Amino acid sequence: MSDHTPPFDEIVEHTDPERDRLQGAHLLLTAAGAPPELPPWLESAPPEPRSRVIALGRRRSTVVATAAVAATMLFGIGYAIGARDRPAPPVQTVAMQGGGATASIDVFSHDAAGNWPMTLRVSGLASLPRGQTYALWLTAHGKLAEPCGTFTVASGTTEVPLSAPYPLKEYDGWVIVRSGTTGPFLLRTGTV
Amino acid sequence: MGTVFPLRLPSSTAMATIEPVSTPEVTDGTLIERVASGDRGAFEELYGRFARPVLGLALRRIGDRGRAEDTVQEVFAAVWRSAGSYNRGRGPGGAWLYTIARNTIVDALRRRPAPTVANPPEVVSPGLTPDEEAEASWNAWRVHRALDTLPEHERTAIDLAYFSGLSQSEIAEFLQVPLGTVKTRTRSGLARMADALEGEL
Repeated sequence: MSDHTPPFDEIVEHTDPERDRLQGAHLLLTAAGAPPELPPWLESAPPEPRSRVIALGRRRSTVVATAAVAATMLFGIGYAIGARDRPAPPVQTVAMQGGGATASIDVFSHDAAGNWPMTLRVSGLASLPRGQTYALWLTAHGKLAEPCGTFTVASGTTEVPLSAPYPLKEYDGWVIVRSGTTGPFLLRTGTV
Repeated sequence: MGTVFPLRLPSSTAMATIEPVSTPEVTDGTLIERVASGDRGAFEELYGRFARPVLGLALRRIGDRGRAEDTVQEVFAAVWRSAGSYNRGRGPGGAWLYTIARNTIVDALRRRPAPTVANPPEVVSPGLTPDEEAEASWNAWRVHRALDTLPEHERTAIDLAYFSGLSQSEIAEFLQVPLGTVKTRTRSGLARMADALEGEL
């Protein structure tokens, strides 16, 4: 509590019809104390982080699906051309399972900026109503920690290229949820 | 009246240097949605609204001023990254940002060792249970956010009355306005605070 609590009766008359409501605000204000002053270096908003995954909005789900298809086609074309440009093998493959659906995430070596390219392959997930998406999250201590992107699914297996700019060893799991919710559809079951 | 007051002058002038990109009625949730689409101006507006509540929360939880200030930047970096996860159907933007801030602060506490006894935290709220501390943190967050919604003249009256230890008469003398005006501004500020707190911003 503040040492300088002003007498409430000095501010609000006994006959004030809103006295009880105002007293609630008075008590909260007194308990909260003064907000801290920002130091000069925090007076301006910080710059955008250099590496950032934008969890795409729902309206972009079509774009995500198109990008996934395009990426798959490009991969196929590249593979057909020859083995010379074959990508390096993943450094880690994460297996996920839940509710009859399965998924795997191939995590490739991070680039110089710390981005980890990934390929998510998922099958068995139900298609969502138009405009809704699934989201892949990193978890820490049983909670959603960082988003790694959103996607939609079609029948069969859906393959989605993603990237995460986070130090992965700081997280302890992966989940797939319906965007905007926290209930997991798929959980990590193991790492290869 | 003495000539020296323990003055802690209103600081909202510093916040006013952030150029608003939206009218005041734009909600926190709308700003978060704009941030999700990469709107830098919306991010700056959001920062202007929440930087001090975030610092206040970090100070409560971490104690050490330097670490708390560092954590403010981490919180807003997390806001940039996570804005796409905000769903207005699940609650107001302020509550979402509180969750982001709280989780980032907890992560910061886990990553970095606690201060030694020789450098104890400045902490706050001794004797509270974890539940009580959580409730107090949440209430302080809401109050600090609500303060920034007050018109300048009401904010000044509230700051001087609650945080500078001045009586209503002393405020009138300090501001060179009639006592009745000070009482009206203070009461009006309280009413606006009550509206904001009841509306959950």
